[in-house]
Amino acid sequence: MILFLHPWLLAGLAAAGIPILLHLVARREPPTVVFPAVRYLVTTTQEHQRRLKLQHWLLLLVRTLFIAALVMAGAGPTMPLTGVPGHPPGALVVVLDNSPSSAVVSGGTPRLAQLRSAARAVLARSTPTDALWLITADGVPRRGDAATLGEALDSLRPAALRMDLGASLALAAQVLAPETRPPEIMLLSDLQASAAGEASITVPLVVARPAGDTPANVGIAGLSTGAQPWSTDGGRVVVTLAGDSGRAVPVTVRLGTRPGRQALASAGGGVTIPVPGAAPGWWIATAALDADELRLDDERSAWLRVAPVAAVVWSPSDRYLGAACEVLAANRRITRGTEVTAGALGTGASVVMPPADPAELGALNRALARRGVSWRYGALSMTATTTDSGSLAGRRTVRQRYVLESTGSGRTGVLATAGGSPWIVRSAGVVMLGSRLDPSWTELPLTADFVPFVDRLLNRVARGELAILDGVPGEPVALPDLATEVRLGDRSWSVEGGDLFRPTELGAHLLLAERDTIGALNVGVDPRESRLARLPDDRIRRLWRGARIVDLDKAGPAAFSSQAAADFRGPLLWTALVLGLIEVALASARRWRA
Amino acid sequence: MNGTAAPAGRARLDLLDPLEVSRLGGLEVVTEGVVEGFLTGLHRSPRRGFSVEFAEHRMYQPGDELRYVDWKILGRNDRLYVKQFEEETNLRAAVVCDASQSMGWSGAPGSRLTKLDYARRLIAALSLVLLRQRDATGLITFDDTVRSVTPPSARTGHWHQLLNVLASLEPGSGTAAEPALRRVVAALRRRGLVVFVSDLLLERELALKALRFLRHRGHHVLVLHIMDPAEATLSGPAEARFEDPESHAAVVLRPRDWASAYEATVEGVVSAWRLACRRNGIGYHRVFTDAPFGPVLRTALAVSRRG
Repeated sequence: MILFLHPWLLAGLAAAGIPILLHLVARREPPTVVFPAVRYLVTTTQEHQRRLKLQHWLLLLVRTLFIAALVMAGAGPTMPLTGVPGHPPGALVVVLDNSPSSAVVSGGTPRLAQLRSAARAVLARSTPTDALWLITADGVPRRGDAATLGEALDSLRPAALRMDLGASLALAAQVLAPETRPPEIMLLSDLQASAAGEASITVPLVVARPAGDTPANVGIAGLSTGAQPWSTDGGRVVVTLAGDSGRAVPVTVRLGTRPGRQALASAGGGVTIPVPGAAPGWWIATAALDADELRLDDERSAWLRVAPVAAVVWSPSDRYLGAACEVLAANRRITRGTEVTAGALGTGASVVMPPADPAELGALNRALARRGVSWRYGALSMTATTTDSGSLAGRRTVRQRYVLESTGSGRTGVLATAGGSPWIVRSAGVVMLGSRLDPSWTELPLTADFVPFVDRLLNRVARGELAILDGVPGEPVALPDLATEVRLGDRSWSVEGGDLFRPTELGAHLLLAERDTIGALNVGVDPRESRLARLPDDRIRRLWRGARIVDLDKAGPAAFSSQAAADFRGPLLWTALVLGLIEVALASARRWRA
Repeated sequence: MNGTAAPAGRARLDLLDPLEVSRLGGLEVVTEGVVEGFLTGLHRSPRRGFSVEFAEHRMYQPGDELRYVDWKILGRNDRLYVKQFEEETNLRAAVVCDASQSMGWSGAPGSRLTKLDYARRLIAALSLVLLRQRDATGLITFDDTVRSVTPPSARTGHWHQLLNVLASLEPGSGTAAEPALRRVVAALRRRGLVVFVSDLLLERELALKALRFLRHRGHHVLVLHIMDPAEATLSGPAEARFEDPESHAAVVLRPRDWASAYEATVEGVVSAWRLACRRNGIGYHRVFTDAPFGPVLRTALAVSRRG
């Protein structure tokens, strides 16, 4: 493909029309001269008309080509040459895409091995005077000579991190910005369409494209174990799939080493698989697919907490709350015990409602303060309002409520709001409700969701709900306030609660607060990595203007080719010179004949 | 025919620029001046020539033909004398003058005579010379038709009659020489001299056919090809539309591009005329309108002597 160093100069090609324009302008009606010997002129023109006409058009053509050649030479046309031995010192960044999709096996060879081989061929073309960098999925530009980078290539494995190609190219351009040597970027990638990002780069770019078709792939995009802890009765796992294949594949889900349960699902869809009850404790739930070309996304794990139901003490005098507890107890969702006190402040975990008698409010607030609860009941509000929709209470009408006032430094522990003010809060193992669970205070007791609401309050919220987080490598995840450590097998990372954590490895991580496990971070392959469909060439050219696309096995010869570009300026200037001489000769011949 | 006195005897008018000569006076006066100058140059009596009737001797002058040298006197006195004879007066001449539109053209109006003006003065001078030799001289003028016919005569006053015709001659329209040349046959019943004065911008084959016919009838024929110098070369604006005043045919071209080719064409035409005339025993002489009259008259007179 011919490129121009100064393409704006091509506008000067319009000047090539000047001779033609002059020719047309000169064709205006000439003056009349009375001349008796016109018959001699007629004889003369009949004999020489063809020659002179030919000469005239030839001169016009030569003049037009002369201007065009000069303008083209000024625009600086160049064409990259490949396979030219040797090159002047240059600066080259090899962007090697070792994202999870590079683990795919194509034609019996892992894609990463093909990319690595191409990278070695590129490095083999370098000379000691070249500056070399290697950028992989981790986004760190590594500088070194061919040997150093070759060692880095040897140790390269498919990364858990996704690679945004546009961002990587922009990074490569940034790396090359201070370079005085002719820069070039070599992109070695499986060119996943889902990884393509736009990048405006001015550095010459060579894109090496793998040969052969891309296999149709299906991978696990998500593994959801729902709200936790589970009861010992078991629960349901939702598995979602992603990929290019439309066929249904068997999905196997197992808890720990227990026998798995299977169901069929296809890419873009999901499947819910019931899992039987298990003993209390932390379990690893694993979803797996049958092996295909990309193994990395065929399995995903998640931590799962199984706990016994809450032991609750409640007062039968609480008409609605008591009735709900009776129902839950009848269905074995709670048992009678002292672990959680429902409706009043107990010694352990408690779900506290404001007292029916306002005179008791002061004593309650003092008791809460003694427990270290950072909230207290404030003034009574009789203004009807609605709760803000949320997973805990949904959207309900609230007719009366006490304003919940924070006594601490912030408003931490707000679980639900009504009219923008805290309505349910949690602090020091105490859940405070702003309204009594009575129809005169809120419509909640009269709704069908009331009993599940009480179940959530007693089994999860009051006992401390677990933070089950999902993440992908490289993407930040907000950690719970209490988290102090993230652990994956033998590896652990110290963190501060509320910080952002960027997981770098695949797997189910545990979130710890000192010695207590407060949740889990389940990290799986980015679902976009399961879609292996490749970028078409025209889209590559649209995304990265000026990119030269070569086959992967031609990456080596194509390296440093931007510096081995054929420069047409010289030949064009010579052509212009020859045309100029021809013009002078033709014009002189005409004058000499005249 | 009134005019200022001719400066005869002081300058050879036959050798001056025709335009300068024409400015000296009217047709009659100027022509007489030209002829006087011409005859002075010949050093011959207007009434004497090299015919059969001996008249007298005179001293040899360079240029005289050696066959007229009197060898007896040379032997006796060791002096060179040539013999002179009385001229014959029975030569009949007809001048055919082209008065077409193209003859009225001058390449440099004001500084050069038109072809017709030049022809008019040339014919007047030639007829005066012939009449002084007592040769009967006639005049036929034509354009696309025969415009006037003045039969040959050697009478006193005939020259003035010819002058009247010439003076009233104006450029006509087209050119058709053949009818005029055919009229010569009627005018010259005996062998004589035919002088065809034209710019030859006519149908060459038709004109040649008529000239060959005259030659076939035994006449001596002389073609005086009148040409303006501007017709021999091509010049003008960068690009011009050249239009024929007679046919109104036009050609648009750049003179600079065509000048050399045009000159070659003109030389080709002249050569073709010269060759065709030579092949048919016809005299041909190209006359530029800026050329003095003398040499032209000398050529015409040489042809008349052959007659």
